[in-house]
Amino acid sequence: MSEQKTVHFIIERQDGPDSKPYTEEFLVPYRPALNVVAALMEIQKKPVTKDGKKTTPVVWECNCLEKVCGACMMVINGKARQACATLVDQIPQPIRLAPARTFPVIRDLQIDRSVMFESLKRIRGWIDVDGSWEVNTAPIQNPYTAATAYEIAHCMTCGCCLEACPNVGPQSDFIGPAPTVQAYLFNLNPLGSFNKDKRLNALMEKGGITSCGNSQNCVQVCPKNIKLTTYLAQLNRDVNKQALKNIFNK
Amino acid sequence: MSKKNIIVVGGGLSGLMATIKICEAGGEVKLFSYCPVKRSHSLCAQGGINACMNTKGQNDTTWEHFDDTVYGGDFLADQTAVKGMCEAAPKLIKMFDRMGVPFTRTAEGVLDLRNFGGQKNKRTVFAGSTTGQQLLYALDEQVRKWEVKGNVKKYEFWEFIRIIKNDNGICRGIVAQNMNSMEIEAFRADAVILATGGPGVIFGRCTASTICNGSAVSAVYQQGAEIGNSEFIQIHPTAIPGSDKNRLMSEACRGEGGRVWTYKDGKPWYFLEEMYPAYGNLVPRDIASRAIYDVCVNQKLGINGENRVYLDLSHIPAEYLERKLGGILEMYSEFVGDDPRKVPMQIYPSVHYSMGGIWVDTKHNTNIPALLASGECDYQYHGANRLGANSLLSAAYSGTISGPEAIRWSESDDIGEELTDEQLAAAKQTCVDEFENIINMNGKENAHELHHELGDLMNRYCTIVRVNKELDLCMDELKKILVRWNDIGVNDKGHWANQEAMFVRQLHNMIIYAMVICKAARMRDESRGAHYKPEFPNRDDEHFLKTTIASYNAETHEPNITYREYDHSLIKPRPRRYDVAKGGK
Amino acid sequence: MFHVTFYIRRLHSICGIVPMGLFLLEHVLTNAEAMGGPAAFNEAIARIALIPHNIMLVIEIFGLAIPFLFHMIYGLYIALQANNNPAQYGYTRNWQFALQRWTAIFLFVFLIIHVVDLRIFTKGGGTPISYALLDEMFNNMGWFVLYLLGMLAAIFHFCNGMTTLCMTWGIAKGPRAQSVVGKLMMLVCAVLCIVTIAFMASYKMH
Ligand SMILES: Cc1cc2nc3c(=O)[nH]c(=O)nc-3n(C[C@H](O)[C@H](O)[C@H](O)COP(=O)(O)OP(=O)(O)OC[C@H]3O[C@@H](n4cnc5c(N)ncnc54)[C@H](O)[C@@H]3O)c2cc1C
Ligand code: SF4
Ligand code: SF4
Ligand code: FES
Repeated sequence: MSEQKTVHFIIERQDGPDSKPYTEEFLVPYRPALNVVAALMEIQKKPVTKDGKKTTPVVWECNCLEKVCGACMMVINGKARQACATLVDQIPQPIRLAPARTFPVIRDLQIDRSVMFESLKRIRGWIDVDGSWEVNTAPIQNPYTAATAYEIAHCMTCGCCLEACPNVGPQSDFIGPAPTVQAYLFNLNPLGSFNKDKRLNALMEKGGITSCGNSQNCVQVCPKNIKLTTYLAQLNRDVNKQALKNIFNK
Repeated sequence: MSKKNIIVVGGGLSGLMATIKICEAGGEVKLFSYCPVKRSHSLCAQGGINACMNTKGQNDTTWEHFDDTVYGGDFLADQTAVKGMCEAAPKLIKMFDRMGVPFTRTAEGVLDLRNFGGQKNKRTVFAGSTTGQQLLYALDEQVRKWEVKGNVKKYEFWEFIRIIKNDNGICRGIVAQNMNSMEIEAFRADAVILATGGPGVIFGRCTASTICNGSAVSAVYQQGAEIGNSEFIQIHPTAIPGSDKNRLMSEACRGEGGRVWTYKDGKPWYFLEEMYPAYGNLVPRDIASRAIYDVCVNQKLGINGENRVYLDLSHIPAEYLERKLGGILEMYSEFVGDDPRKVPMQIYPSVHYSMGGIWVDTKHNTNIPALLASGECDYQYHGANRLGANSLLSAAYSGTISGPEAIRWSESDDIGEELTDEQLAAAKQTCVDEFENIINMNGKENAHELHHELGDLMNRYCTIVRVNKELDLCMDELKKILVRWNDIGVNDKGHWANQEAMFVRQLHNMIIYAMVICKAARMRDESRGAHYKPEFPNRDDEHFLKTTIASYNAETHEPNITYREYDHSLIKPRPRRYDVAKGGK
Repeated sequence: MFHVTFYIRRLHSICGIVPMGLFLLEHVLTNAEAMGGPAAFNEAIARIALIPHNIMLVIEIFGLAIPFLFHMIYGLYIALQANNNPAQYGYTRNWQFALQRWTAIFLFVFLIIHVVDLRIFTKGGGTPISYALLDEMFNNMGWFVLYLLGMLAAIFHFCNGMTTLCMTWGIAKGPRAQSVVGKLMMLVCAVLCIVTIAFMASYKMH
């Protein structure tokens, strides 16, 4: 083995929601296929900064480490990403980590995304089944429509798209691309479509789809490659039709 | 306090299913989870969920599903319970379909089925390669609806610490801690359901999420709950080893012609093909795991001396690979950085699933009254080995049993007195004191390093091959680790989102649970399902056609192991032959 | 259910084309006549002056001033809701998004100056707009640059607004359609900018 290679991290830390941010730097032993979460785990084992100062382990959120749970979103070298799926080999060093400040910071890299789950309530993000007991067999579905639904259903509520969207943040009430597009998912479903107009009307409210300014950052950063802007445009179409219905069908 | 107030700990498939059932029966649920329930581990499941839909013209029957499950589990599963599950499976799938799960469909628009390991018929319903995610989301959405209606109150980012019993020993509440504010609180309930998932993280690196630490199971075990069949840990032969976790690499790779090899005398050695000429790379899961283990650990022939071998697809045309395995190869490139179309993948077997867990009856009652358990944290349904795609089923199904059973408890007179304010306060104080003690620990050990050692130990001795002498050694080492736990130094002394202190508490529980696995493995002198002892290579129905029961001995911290009869009356045990290829994931 | 925000946003979007976009095009075309020299330009102005004064005033107030003010003020509110981040996310669309907002703020100021100066003080004060007047005004480099930037900003804002509009109204849905519309509008933008630069330059040429 040659001399130990290390990876240089500059981490923006913050002790609590109202504390002042500060940065700390760490050197983590290099390993092939090292990802950002694995590096943070190394820091847990040895919470000592680059200058040899003992500190507290960095706080962040993760579960699956496979890019499906959505938990580990943070800002890595300026962009919102899933930390578990970011290999240190593939990005320039030093690697800068920061919390996604579109959301309230809890501590260090951990943020509070509860607003996203609240938005899912607002768009009525469920199918209204009578119950979990046996009722009917479910309707047959067009396999192509189902494939589209499958794509949207991958959304893991990570919030990358909200962090990148210039229109989401403390300055605005926009619910953001992810929850908006979820409305389309439920509208696509044969049973879900029964409540289509309710969801579209919800999207017409303040902070709904009209707040999208078409910067298309969301579609660029979505780690699940969901064609967000396509569905936003489709929803725009649907919402406009709904507006006409609201005016003329009453 | 209003009647029918249930606490559900865990928001995976099982906890959410139970929650829905309770709400439908008019109950109210306090739902506790480490993470937003939508991020629970169930979403890692890729392959699918088994149910006899019989839409492929194969005359599939629920009885055959039942038989496959019992046979696959080497006859150690309670057969009444398994039969109930297999019969309910098609109904559950229809429910999921109505709830909007985007299952993969046939040209005609009905649910497609795929083949899976250990089953002759196509019986696995799937949603692309993210079935668990889609099933979990569907239940999450239904629970959100109940939340809006006011029947569910979520406690996300809360850690369950312990249960509280009333004077009659009936479980009537829990203590939990807010993971951000660190406040510890005691809660009353009519009954408590644990649905906290598997214990994989005890092994350090495994295919499960970082929150699958078995800590909750260990906590109730230390309060008197029995653990069943804990020695049965499923090892998946092909996972991508990682310092953070081992990522599952689907067995479809071998199915599509992948070859397993390593260097021997400077030349590629296709050891599976040499050892098992009849089946080659397609030998069943346990055999493959054992062979890879033998090559790496005993013969020390792993790549660069490390515990890994090649899984090679690079000889197969890239276009074919793309069509058949696209998504899976994507994942390898993403997490390893190499392109498996060009260079061989490096894999090693990994801990994947625990068949064992809290002992429950067929209604998912534990031995503690009004404490129920369901999902991967219970021991039911899988016996000595789980069939692929059966655990999403068991997780969801068990929730449909535990939920209504909790309601039954809440309506019965057997639950005795509710907890008094003094009892709540006392239980809370115990946990507060314990936590303050942890925060004030100033020893030499780093908790995460110690966890790493625990994982290494368990991986070395309690996985693929088990040898009694080594298990004795492992037990001694575990005891040492438990002592060393006292010498942990906590770096973070704060009272806000202190993940380190919480981890120290979890680690203690993990060590205790590890001892259960180790001791149970030590005591079972036979080979059955996932449990393999070269010293006792055969199944021994005469002595061990019984459930292993572990109960906690507070003095030694070790388990007392006993054996319990269970129902195997429906299908007579017959030999499970390893020379019949099982294939599948 | 009456969703005020929704209708206002949609109205804002429409105002961007009718009347604002059309009026912008009218400006570009009329001014392009300047390339033909003073006579051609003055003739073009005269054509507009044929519209009777009273009718013109009504058009100006209801057809122009009110929609303009609405688009400008509400637009400013929209622009302030954005936290522009092209430095972080340097994608083309995001730059355009940020430019849309930056031009909005610039145009807000520019249009006020432009209207107050030319329409209210000059024309309202009785001095007719003519080639000579503008020529003299553009002799001053400051005015010249301000007007050139103002025109270019307005053209970009209009063309990019059209791209966004195609999405807001669900006209261009898929990624390809959106990209085609985007490129097409940038082409239009380029053409209009060239015309503008040309006629502005013509003032400086003689
Ligand atoms: C990589 C992988 C692939 C798999 N693929 C398949 C497959 O294809 N088919 C199949 O059938 N099965 C598969 N499985 C198995 C299956 O995913 C799990 O067995 C099943 O999802 C378990 O569900 P659960 O509801 O019991 O628990 P989980 O989904 O693990 O949920 C546990 C819940 O408990 C909470 N919790 C735990 N401890 C605490 C605590 N102390 N305090 C508060 N909350 C707590 C967690 O936050 C979480 O919400 C796979 C497993 C893995 C690891
Ligand atoms: S397209 Fe809309 S939703 Fe997406 S980032 Fe831009 S403004 Fe946000
Ligand atoms: S749409 Fe994509 S980026 Fe946005 S939350 Fe969902 S998965 Fe994340
Ligand atoms: S930890 Fe789940 S997405 Fe990264």
